[in-house]
Amino acid sequence: MNRQDKIRNFCIVAHIDHGKSTLADRLIEATGTLAKRDMQNQLLDSMELEREKGITIKLTPTRMIYNFEGTDYELNLIDTPGHVDFTYEVSRSLAACEGAILIVDASQGVEAQTLANAYLAIDNNLEILPVINKIDLPSARPMEVKKEIEDVVGIPAMHAPCISAKDGTNIDQVLEMIIKEFPAPKGDENGKLKCLIFDSYYDNFKGAICLIRVFDGKVKVGDKIKMMQTEKIFDVVEVGIFVPNPKTTEILQAGDVGYIACSIKTIQDVSVGDTITSAFDPIDKPLPGYKKVQPVVFCGIFPVDGSKYQELKDALEKLKLNDASLQYEPEVSQALGFGFRCGFLGLLHLEIISERIEREFNLDIITTAPGVYYLVHKTNGEILKLSNPSSLPSAVEIDYIEEPYVKANIFAPPEYVGAIMELCQDKRGVYQGLTYLEEKRVRVDYHLPLGEIIYDFFDSLKSRTKGYASFDYEMAGFERSDLVRVDILLNGEKCDALSIIVHKDKAYSRGRALTEKLKRIIPRQLFEVPIQAAIGNKIIARETISAMRKDVLAKCYGGDITRKRKLLEKQKEGKKRMRKIGSVEIPSEAFMSILKLDDGEG
Amino acid sequence: MNSIYVHIPFCESKCYYCGFASFAGKDNEQKKYFAYLKEEINKCKFGQSISSIFIGGGTPSLVDVQYIEDVLFLIKKHFKIEKNAEITIEANPNSIDENKLLAYKKIGINRLSIGVQSLDNRQLKKIGRLHNKQQVLKALKLAKKVGFKNINCDLLLGLEKSSFFKIKKMIKLVKKYVSHFSCYMLQVEDGTLLQTMVENKQITLPNDDKVVEIYSKVIKFLSKLGFKQYEISNFAKDGYFCKHNLNYWSRGNYLGFGLGAHSFVNETRWANGNSFGDYYSGKKSLEEKLTKNQIVEEIIMLGLRCDLGIKEKELKKLNFNLEDNKNFKVFVDKKILHYQNGIIKIDPKYYGVSNLIIEDLIN
Repeated sequence: MNRQDKIRNFCIVAHIDHGKSTLADRLIEATGTLAKRDMQNQLLDSMELEREKGITIKLTPTRMIYNFEGTDYELNLIDTPGHVDFTYEVSRSLAACEGAILIVDASQGVEAQTLANAYLAIDNNLEILPVINKIDLPSARPMEVKKEIEDVVGIPAMHAPCISAKDGTNIDQVLEMIIKEFPAPKGDENGKLKCLIFDSYYDNFKGAICLIRVFDGKVKVGDKIKMMQTEKIFDVVEVGIFVPNPKTTEILQAGDVGYIACSIKTIQDVSVGDTITSAFDPIDKPLPGYKKVQPVVFCGIFPVDGSKYQELKDALEKLKLNDASLQYEPEVSQALGFGFRCGFLGLLHLEIISERIEREFNLDIITTAPGVYYLVHKTNGEILKLSNPSSLPSAVEIDYIEEPYVKANIFAPPEYVGAIMELCQDKRGVYQGLTYLEEKRVRVDYHLPLGEIIYDFFDSLKSRTKGYASFDYEMAGFERSDLVRVDILLNGEKCDALSIIVHKDKAYSRGRALTEKLKRIIPRQLFEVPIQAAIGNKIIARETISAMRKDVLAKCYGGDITRKRKLLEKQKEGKKRMRKIGSVEIPSEAFMSILKLDDGEG
Repeated sequence: MNSIYVHIPFCESKCYYCGFASFAGKDNEQKKYFAYLKEEINKCKFGQSISSIFIGGGTPSLVDVQYIEDVLFLIKKHFKIEKNAEITIEANPNSIDENKLLAYKKIGINRLSIGVQSLDNRQLKKIGRLHNKQQVLKALKLAKKVGFKNINCDLLLGLEKSSFFKIKKMIKLVKKYVSHFSCYMLQVEDGTLLQTMVENKQITLPNDDKVVEIYSKVIKFLSKLGFKQYEISNFAKDGYFCKHNLNYWSRGNYLGFGLGAHSFVNETRWANGNSFGDYYSGKKSLEEKLTKNQIVEEIIMLGLRCDLGIKEKELKKLNFNLEDNKNFKVFVDKKILHYQNGIIKIDPKYYGVSNLIIEDLIN
């Protein structure tokens, strides 16, 4: 048996909550990769945030050794992110594997992402091993779910192991099937070096670390390598594997999964999805599938404390290293000062990045309302590409505006079709078709403006379908729309960070909803504060925050001055998260509030 | 100036809104408590002269006069008390009688602070007070008869069905007996019965705007009657400003004796334990040496609470210059703050939002 015959590279894909991370933990435990006492639940979700949200964002590969019929096999598990925002990241991980475990919840059955992920794996020519999880639950119906997999996904599933990752039931069966079902890598060890970067992260001591899958050839310390997209050349300083913590090795060869460190200081030099080859003896063509990732959702990020601009810049730079999809450029706002306009793959991605900035870099930030990219055709023939509402030219200069549309597929039981269609119409959607996937499951297709679905679409969909619906979408180009900018004036002063671009028909209701919302969020001040929404010079909505008349008047009884001072200090703490726009104090969450307008309001 | 505070934590019953260190049904503890109280006074060393003594609670008028006499006697023996020192005792309308008042007078008490709160019997009952309108008027009459000239009357604004009309009527009824009013806006404190009642909707309190509206009218009305507002909640006729309170706000020294009592000497604040056990064992509930920033905060916070204002030179001594603060200029321009002869005062119109202003000055 040659070396590569004893290697299996695989990943696990699943719908959210179907137990991907739990199964990964059990595999690590069952192969003795980590002693039980070192296990932390859901080990692979190494970021605190991931564990909290129960989702995987960063990919963490793990090498496990499993003895099967007298032979030690090397199993490389490459984890995949589990959210629609991260489709590209998933595709890169898949490209590094030969097989994919498809976990399906024994009571939930096939869900939207089960399908989407399974199709992604099939498109990447992976062998798929279905696994039925959570058979310990009383509502488990493994036989029906197996049939559902065969009917809906269209792959054989009768042999699928029925497991409980939680209890550790039948984990050995999964390990055996991995070895039996998944093909071994078939790279050319003596060929020219060909590796895929499927992820990267930044190490303070070693610089940028590339997580790679070697397809052909070998790489060791001292080699000169070349990144094919950036055409940069580096000396390899360290190679290693993950067990699951990084461990140095002498060499990585065809079929292996591991990492290389080259003291790469310029983080832009590592592009995830890129191909690494030898600098002296390069291959002709890079691996297929590399995409420069295009963000679809944009917002401004500003430090609450204006003097922390440089720190925010450093934080974004560091985050970008792990995250090829994060984009940012400097932005200046009259209201918020210096910051960045950032692009994301979706709202979850935005939320994750902003939370990571706050937690990992200990920076308080203000995020402005998310928006999309518009194509503005000016009367002079110029075409502007912009995402920041405040850069929109005046109405007389605009010929017309195009906004991005998506092709949305919504999966739900048939009884909710009415509610879904109502929601989509309301969001300016154009009906495309309805497909019965099976008796109890339909797919509704809509052509929808992206700008509409980034606002509370998913939440509304969930609430209107009692949580039964799921959806995914892909970009479907730009289309002409009747859009206007709604500005917000506080105390008569325009606050650029609160401007939004909306469809003309919705401008009034949005403006009204926005002023009402801001009235609730902005605390009363020493003076009366009018809040107005305007299109150009025309006021379309107005609310007034009446002046504050009483604050905490703690009685200094028996000379307890300390208590009074503590109350004052507490109040001062709260103020740290406020921004002063003109003479008005605004809590930083106000800038995001536009996003959370109730469906009925917008 | 230096002051002494003595805490008497006993009450006949606990008022529903009360969040202070006071206990009902603990009368059998009195003997032991006063023994510890005297021991605490005896152990204290303080050489400077004392200008005011305040016996507060709880309900000091509830305990036997002998206890009060003993404590006061000891204080006078142990410390240097100025001849014209202000000596106050807190009393509830239902726990004083002529004999008690005569006894207080005899032992040198020259100021009475009476917890009237309201003259609406239904309002009084709803917050757990045991007295009624009749008892209040009787107590005030007696106090006057016995010869007390310096009498304070505590009033609560913002009780259920509170209205300016009601309070005006009340002030009219009591004004001829009293020289001082303390008008506090009712605060719903954590852990009080009142808080539970509010949560369970057993009581509906007026909103802040309503309370402030009443408060503003009360200020005007009292001023017409010759009661000058010299602090957010305190009003007095000329010559009757409470020395003891003014000392708190001007950051003079004070010694606190008894359960939960607070002390402040040489920029250090400390407080006794808040339970009998903690108090007896000498456990402190607070002990802090103020930092420079905290001192600045206090000078501003306390100075703006009252008509004394902030003395600019006191801040300058600490290298803190209010004129460096951009908000300060705005406040002076808008006449929210009055800045004259090195004294900074808040316009009485803005007493109600002093915290907002103080905060902007500190930042």
